[in-house]
Amino acid sequence: MIELYHVQKEFRGRRVLWDVTFQMSRGEFVFLTGPSGAGKTTLLKLLFRAERPTDGQILVNGMNVGAMSPGRIPELRRTMGIVFQDYKLLPTRTIFENVAFVLKFLGVPTQERKRRAYQTLRMVELHHRLSAFPEELSGGEQQRVALARALINEPELLIADEPTGNLDRRLAEEVMKLFTAINVRGTTILLATHDQDLIRGSGRRCLTLDRGRMLEGLVESSVPPQAPHRDPGTPPPGGDAP
Amino acid sequence: MSGQRTSALVALLDEAAQGLWRARRMTVVSVLQIAVSVFLVGVFFLTAENLRGVVDTVKDESAVTVFLKPGAAEEEKAEVERLARESRLVARWRRVSTEEAGARFATSWKSLSRASSSLASSPFPETIELDLLPDAIQSEALRGFLPLLATRKGVDDVQFDVDWIRRLRGAVALIAVWGGAVGLFLAVGAVFTIANVVRLTILLHRDEIEILRLVGAPEYLIRGPFLIGGLAQGFLGGSLAVGVLYLSFRAVLRYVATTHNVLVGVFVVRFLTPSTCVLLMVGGLLAGVIGGAIAVRKKHLQG
Ligand SMILES: Nc1ncnc2c1ncn2[C@@H]1O[C@H](COP(=O)(O)OP(=O)(O)OP(=O)(O)O)[C@@H](O)[C@H]1O
Ligand SMILES: [Mg+2]
Repeated sequence: MIELYHVQKEFRGRRVLWDVTFQMSRGEFVFLTGPSGAGKTTLLKLLFRAERPTDGQILVNGMNVGAMSPGRIPELRRTMGIVFQDYKLLPTRTIFENVAFVLKFLGVPTQERKRRAYQTLRMVELHHRLSAFPEELSGGEQQRVALARALINEPELLIADEPTGNLDRRLAEEVMKLFTAINVRGTTILLATHDQDLIRGSGRRCLTLDRGRMLEGLVESSVPPQAPHRDPGTPPPGGDAP
Repeated sequence: MSGQRTSALVALLDEAAQGLWRARRMTVVSVLQIAVSVFLVGVFFLTAENLRGVVDTVKDESAVTVFLKPGAAEEEKAEVERLARESRLVARWRRVSTEEAGARFATSWKSLSRASSSLASSPFPETIELDLLPDAIQSEALRGFLPLLATRKGVDDVQFDVDWIRRLRGAVALIAVWGGAVGLFLAVGAVFTIANVVRLTILLHRDEIEILRLVGAPEYLIRGPFLIGGLAQGFLGGSLAVGVLYLSFRAVLRYVATTHNVLVGVFVVRFLTPSTCVLLMVGGLLAGVIGGAIAVRKKHLQG
């Protein structure tokens, strides 16, 4: 599904990715982690051609992403769902429109769009805020709208950049359950996060970037699913709940 | 496939409508701007078309009136008729007696007829009217023909103001040229207005356009709404202009009719023909499309 060979990326002569090589097969659910500024977002951007590699080759779903003509980029992106680190919601449109918009250019009829947008927003527990605008939502709510938008067209590949960064522990776990369910249905997932708890509990393959270099195959499956460690800032699950 | 295409078109139109609505204040401004331009061009068209109408009326009725001296002899009248018969300029002629002239005046100038009937003797001399052939006015021969008539015995005066028609025709041509020039100028202005409004909208929604691209929106859904928006603004502006032009035309006509009764009777004043109206609306529409296309072509919309 995703293949990278000796990928380099420089921004105005400053190298941020060094000789990155890895493969992901269809149906896999892989974490991408590493300290802030390691190059996670940059790596993901290369996959949907928001950036072009300085060197190396990138294949996504059989398409040579680095070399493809600009005219084919929309086609590439429509096969994926992308959750952006900064959400990228349309400020002048309601939550509902933000989510349903993606279906508009896939030729889905209005009624079907409404139904699916509602369903998807219910999955992220935002079905009661359909007519709100993004700026009226909290950071975590916006993040969930971004997630709903990425999921609505049931993409073959889901690329998520810190999709739980603004969520509390309970919601983060709900979202992870959602990802797992989607993955079971066949969607390939690449999820960038520096939340070690999420990774530890999952027993999934994890790629680690460190200052632009890929530390290959750090699979943390040996860690028991119920990790005792918690962020000091977040309350234990169900602590505040009635 | 066709269902898919239909819904893509619906999506496109929907996006365009939403875009116009979101930027409604700017939409109104550019619609008005186009409307003003088209309106002014319309005023020129209207003036030129009506003046041309006047020229045509005059040309249709281009008759030379030969005023006879009171008590002119029959042979003298026959001489004028002989000249008319032999001239290649004249289609037909007829004698108009004093009584006939008086009656004719009475029917076309009702309000004045009472005054004329009270006069002791009819003020209208006997005349011979020569209807000229359509091309006669342009003919050089007319210049020689008129003095020839005027110098016949028994002829008092020959009336045919060629200069007046020439001058009017010159004025019509001038108005048409000026109308064209001003119209072109205004059209260019309208195009740039729309281009700027669309460009401004694009700049304002730059982030949004970037997001649309990131989620895989096809190019036609990104550029299309701006083009359609320009088209719609242009068409609305053009239609508004034609509508307002018609209403002001009616208002002016009603005002003139109540104050200057006589004028309206003499000149048949018409509004623009339907095809000219359509032309004006299409002109507005084209200005909109071209403006939109210019803006959409700009670098900041390139992927
Ligand atoms: N457009 C850009 N121009 C110049 N430098 C950039 C650009 N984008 C990213 N960088 C640099 O590339 C490096 C990697 O950035 P990136 O956003 O990929 O990190 P990250 O791993 O996603 O970090 P975080 O966990 O904080 O999101 C950083 O040093 C950043 O300054
Ligand atoms: Mg990042």
